[in-house]
Amino acid sequence: MQKDPREPRPQVKKHNVNVATLLGLIPGIGQFYNRRIIKGSIMLVLATAFVLTFAQFLNIGYWGLFTLGTMQGVDDSRTLLIQGILSLFLTVVAIGFYAACVIDARRDAVKIQNGWKIPSVRTALSDWFDNAFPYLLVTPGLILLVFVVVFPLLFMVLLAFTNYDRYNAPPGNLLEWVGFQNFMDIVNVPIWRDTFVSVFSWTLTWTFGATTLQIALALLLAIIVNDKRIKFKRTIRTVFILPWAVPAFVTIMIFSALFNDNFGAINRDILEPLLGFGLPWMSDPFWAKTAIIMIQVWLGFPFVYALFTGVLQSISSDWYEAADVDGGSKWQKFRYITLPHVLFATAPLLIMQYSFNFNNFNIIYLFNEGGPAVRGQEAGGTDILISWVYDLTFQNSMYSMAAVVSIIMGMMVAIFAFFQFRRSRSFKEEGQV
Amino acid sequence: MKKATWLSMILLTAMIFILAACGPDREETGADEADVSEGEEPEKPESLKVWVNDDDNQKEFYEEVTEEFTEETGISVEIEHHPMDEQLDKVSLDGPSGNGPDLFYQPHDMIGEANLQGLVSPIQADEEQLSIYEDSAIEAMSYEGELYGVPDVTETYALLYNKELVEEAPETISDLEEIAEELTDASNEEYGFLMEAANFYYTYPFMTAEGGYVFNQDEDGTYDSSDIGLANEGAVEGAEMIQSWYQNDYIPKGINDDILNGLFEDGKVGAVINGTWAVKDYVKAIGSENLGVAPLPTTDDGDPLNSFSGVKGWLVSNYSEDKYWASQLGLHITNTENAKKYHEASGQIPAVTEVVESDVLQENEHFNGFAEQTQYAEPMPNIPEMAQVWEPMGDAHEYIADGNDPEEVLNEAVEEIQAEIEMQAK
Repeated sequence: MQKDPREPRPQVKKHNVNVATLLGLIPGIGQFYNRRIIKGSIMLVLATAFVLTFAQFLNIGYWGLFTLGTMQGVDDSRTLLIQGILSLFLTVVAIGFYAACVIDARRDAVKIQNGWKIPSVRTALSDWFDNAFPYLLVTPGLILLVFVVVFPLLFMVLLAFTNYDRYNAPPGNLLEWVGFQNFMDIVNVPIWRDTFVSVFSWTLTWTFGATTLQIALALLLAIIVNDKRIKFKRTIRTVFILPWAVPAFVTIMIFSALFNDNFGAINRDILEPLLGFGLPWMSDPFWAKTAIIMIQVWLGFPFVYALFTGVLQSISSDWYEAADVDGGSKWQKFRYITLPHVLFATAPLLIMQYSFNFNNFNIIYLFNEGGPAVRGQEAGGTDILISWVYDLTFQNSMYSMAAVVSIIMGMMVAIFAFFQFRRSRSFKEEGQV
Repeated sequence: MKKATWLSMILLTAMIFILAACGPDREETGADEADVSEGEEPEKPESLKVWVNDDDNQKEFYEEVTEEFTEETGISVEIEHHPMDEQLDKVSLDGPSGNGPDLFYQPHDMIGEANLQGLVSPIQADEEQLSIYEDSAIEAMSYEGELYGVPDVTETYALLYNKELVEEAPETISDLEEIAEELTDASNEEYGFLMEAANFYYTYPFMTAEGGYVFNQDEDGTYDSSDIGLANEGAVEGAEMIQSWYQNDYIPKGINDDILNGLFEDGKVGAVINGTWAVKDYVKAIGSENLGVAPLPTTDDGDPLNSFSGVKGWLVSNYSEDKYWASQLGLHITNTENAKKYHEASGQIPAVTEVVESDVLQENEHFNGFAEQTQYAEPMPNIPEMAQVWEPMGDAHEYIADGNDPEEVLNEAVEEIQAEIEMQAK
């Protein structure tokens, strides 16, 4: 905005910012008023094209989103829902574009009033390109994210407010909006409430129990193996990594056979000869939970172990020597040097372990499909939320209820991850520690 | 600047609401075209699309029979392979968009659900064409008085025994228990008689022997889902019998099909209850001459036990434009001649009476027993409510195995089934 006082520009005073803004309400016209003909034409063409192409689509999209269809057997509520979501996306894009047009018209008008000379097409383009370049690079990723993450998520969230289950499944039937009914049912209907509370509390116990144990075991082993006096370190480490190398589903299924009450090796070949009795691993919820936590510890510790081993190598021996000079005990060295080092470096990955186990469908389902059954409850004794959702969707076709539980689950993980990530050092900027 | 943005937002929101009120233009006509009056054939389509189960063994068979159909009628047939248990979902998505099949393959117990979703259309066939099929198979494929599928094969389970251990098939349940008593030595993993006693599919004959039933059925074969007979006196009696097998250590807890098959193939079990699908492996393991197949034992009064049967067949998509010809294709694939060929190709039991009674099946000693049991088999209820039965009943069987009171447990299971049916039906 350089002003050149030697050249007075009479037309400048005539240029009215408010007129430009008002004209800008029709995309392109405001730009014409600003005498940016090419920019204005592009905007006008784009806007017209948008209206011509998408008017009918948006019309049906919004109509479908509100009604979910009116003719049974002809309208497919699922398709209408999808069209509705796409219409929402399109509208957001359109509003963004529209607002940009109006703002642009006004901004240019202000500049012109202040005596700014309209650049040539070439300079305008290159200026625009310089400014927009980083955004251009990010855009494909953003679009992909919208369709791969936001879109299905929105679809699921919307399903939670419908009555989608076996008895009114499209395409034969129409869905209806039921508001918060499904959420209230989880709280109000006794069988849902009891099941939800018990599944939820077990999910938390499972997440914290299994993950903390696997981290603790990994830490213990990593520190011991890291000790100078240990020989054959490489062999020992290789052996410890082995559980990680075998595909988890194979391991889990083998364990499931090993733990069988009557035919499994654990009862028959280990416990019975040693103790004289076996444990009801598969038929008693308590023992099934114990077994499943032990298996997860076995499956999960190698990764954390590898992580810790790496970090332990990086702690300089100077620290320990200094501690020795000061007369620090073994425990003090562990407590004030090793532990902070290891935990701060790996915190985000450890949090990932927690959220991974929170949604660890494989082990629950492959071990005994969430069993054993518990009297007076929908879900099985070891069902965590995710395996319960699977059951609801694929065994009982209760899609809307499954969506409700998924939303609750998603919020749990999101809140947990958000606060923990914020607290860990890795996400703070340099110098803010 | 801010004002302008707000203004535009308001304008757009207003536009959205105006738009939302419009909706698509269309005529409110019925979607169904008029039914064809008898004796008159509707116009032939150029081609039909059929989805067959994803099984390589049957590929040639389908190609052959559809070619015959093309020669006879001039309608070309396009075959696509889709796993049977995925077909219903795919029809529900592809049907409305016009990419679905005209004819697809499903087990009969999915008909209720398919009907709820509006995916299937009644079969258009005359009495004569349907007379070749077994009555029970036609019944299985019917839902609320209409025939929704052309039956293809029936499957049920029977008693398979190892002739080296059990010379003659036990005739009554008492005989069966005697074998169990004699041969069972759990510490050596030897058993007289084994079954998946926590799976309602297999325990059904015993639960119903003394009068239990799943859903009451009226004379037309329509099920009444509010009348559940799984906790009545007869069912409790059956459950008590099963519990006694656990208590006497005849049957170990935690038995599943892997363990059962493994033990039988090792020659450690006298008799098991299993289906046609097990025969191949059993013959390989213990030899064809050692494997005996007999119908399930009768009650001590001599009444035969009713096993669950499943019928698989061809369903016409509601989205097909040529329902008559799709029905005809289904009828053609399963006609007497083709049913024989199909049996040879796949080893399954066709639903065509003539083939079941033919020498081919009657003289095959391994299928003989199944064929005989088929007479007493009852199709699994095909109403959607049936889906709510399996889990509570399976759980109840687990509690029974754990030694809980059968009557209490069964009552709870029935309550749970009723609660789930109500919860979904509202």
